[in-house]
Amino acid sequence: MGVIEIESLTKRYGDLTAVDDLTFEVADGEVFGFLGPNGAGKTTAIRTLLGMQAPTAGSVRIDGHDTTDENQRLEALADTGFLPSNPQFDPQATGREILDLHESIKGGSRRDELLELFDPPLDREIRAYSTGNVQKLGLVQAFMHDPDVVVMDEPTSGLDPLLVARFNDFVRAERERGVTVLFSSHVLSEVRRVCDRVAVIRDGALVAVEDVQTLLARSGKVVRARADGSLPDDAFDIPGVADRTVEADGDATRVSFTYTGSVDALVDELDRYSLLELDVEEAPLEDVFLQFYGGEASA
Amino acid sequence: MLELARYGARRRITGALVLAAGLSAFSALYAAFFPSVTEGIDLDQYAETLPPVFVEAFGLRSLGTIEGFLATELYQFAWVILLGLYLAYSAASVVASDVESSRMDLLLALPVSRARIVGESFLSLVPGIVVINAVVAAVTWAATGFIGHQVAAVDLVAVHALSLPYLFACAGIGLAFSVTLDRASLAQRGAAGTVFSLFLVETLVTNTDYSWAGALAPQRYYDPTAVLVDGVYDLEGAAVLAAGALVLVLASQWHFTRRDVQ
Repeated sequence: MGVIEIESLTKRYGDLTAVDDLTFEVADGEVFGFLGPNGAGKTTAIRTLLGMQAPTAGSVRIDGHDTTDENQRLEALADTGFLPSNPQFDPQATGREILDLHESIKGGSRRDELLELFDPPLDREIRAYSTGNVQKLGLVQAFMHDPDVVVMDEPTSGLDPLLVARFNDFVRAERERGVTVLFSSHVLSEVRRVCDRVAVIRDGALVAVEDVQTLLARSGKVVRARADGSLPDDAFDIPGVADRTVEADGDATRVSFTYTGSVDALVDELDRYSLLELDVEEAPLEDVFLQFYGGEASA
Repeated sequence: MLELARYGARRRITGALVLAAGLSAFSALYAAFFPSVTEGIDLDQYAETLPPVFVEAFGLRSLGTIEGFLATELYQFAWVILLGLYLAYSAASVVASDVESSRMDLLLALPVSRARIVGESFLSLVPGIVVINAVVAAVTWAATGFIGHQVAAVDLVAVHALSLPYLFACAGIGLAFSVTLDRASLAQRGAAGTVFSLFLVETLVTNTDYSWAGALAPQRYYDPTAVLVDGVYDLEGAAVLAAGALVLVLASQWHFTRRDVQ
């Protein structure tokens, strides 16, 4: 039995189907990524899971509690932490006042420990907070009562790269402690570093539930290079290359493609040419959809 | 229990104190004017020249006495109209502004029932209402004593105590709008507009064949002039207002528990 169970969940607003027959489970102690382009229905699914809105059809459970039933939802929430996407706090309150309120209701046994890790300016009013500080305050309140389950919607948005790294370390440590984590993102590179498994959602429907390693192997890299002089016709025509474009750029040549082959083979191929620029990055999620799951990406 | 109410009340107390100071100044000013005004003009004669609707709206009776003067100028106007509208307006934002700004998501993720969120939001308004009444009652008592026209303390306490259910009922109307509409500005306009419309209807139909039309108006059940001038305390009216406020709070809780929050 999963700690988080979403079964045949459908949520419609009038004619718009935001979530369409979605089913997945998050196992005990698992860090689970919920991946999809913006507008795919991630937030709707998460808010329905937490009981903020009722499902049109299907069921949602946290730790065996049906969160559409108020009493069961309250039991589940006592051991659940939540970080909404773009969290909002009373702008006139200070961070300390917000944490005091949360602590008085749900407890705060880990508050001090978390404040050492994420240190928002507690005595400043929230309206003077930067986006990153609001996110830090949100992280502290999500974990301060030592929950067994934590649900986070786009937790790393607004955090600088250094903090993202700290956040990733933190989530890994939480997994060691046995916390079950569900977090959504529209960026694959964000979830790959910490997640065990990933559910991919598009247009409200589940596209795949994959092991992160499998998904990464499938998604590949985007390679862009600028080489001195012109390139032979068969340049970069090696196994694993897709969508190859080659075009002249003055005396140089620009080439770009997505690559899912072996790294060694790519390095060997790159070594054949005199490169002026080289850029290798993870394929955007939209491309992953296009390439491996078919259809038009909706982002 | 009551953590949300305490938190909300703390956030509102500054506003309540400012309002209490303003209304106290208002009260002291009227008391200061009273001796010179009554020396020059016969206010009761003046009131007789006004249209009956106007006389009814502001409870113009015995204007030449401090009780009648304050009942009209301070209580009918500042309490029944201004403070009533203010509470409808403030209460209309308690839930709606949190929903509109998405702050509600963090509250809903707390292990707290929705009924409790709504109930405590309402309760967070109560300390402010009580503080305003206590401060202005004390200032009015002192100011009327100072000018040598002391208002009876019992009547003064009664006019404020009986205003509490009236103000709770106005806040209840605001709360009902607040849990129904997702935009705080709409809820505020709707609530204040409703309270004011009810006041107008009640004013127009009193003493006519259509007086039933004002039965829903909270203003029907609180009459400061009767308390101060005649010493008549409408406890039945206060009970109607308290029951009405309770029904509005319960209905708001019921509705908010069943709706989607987006």
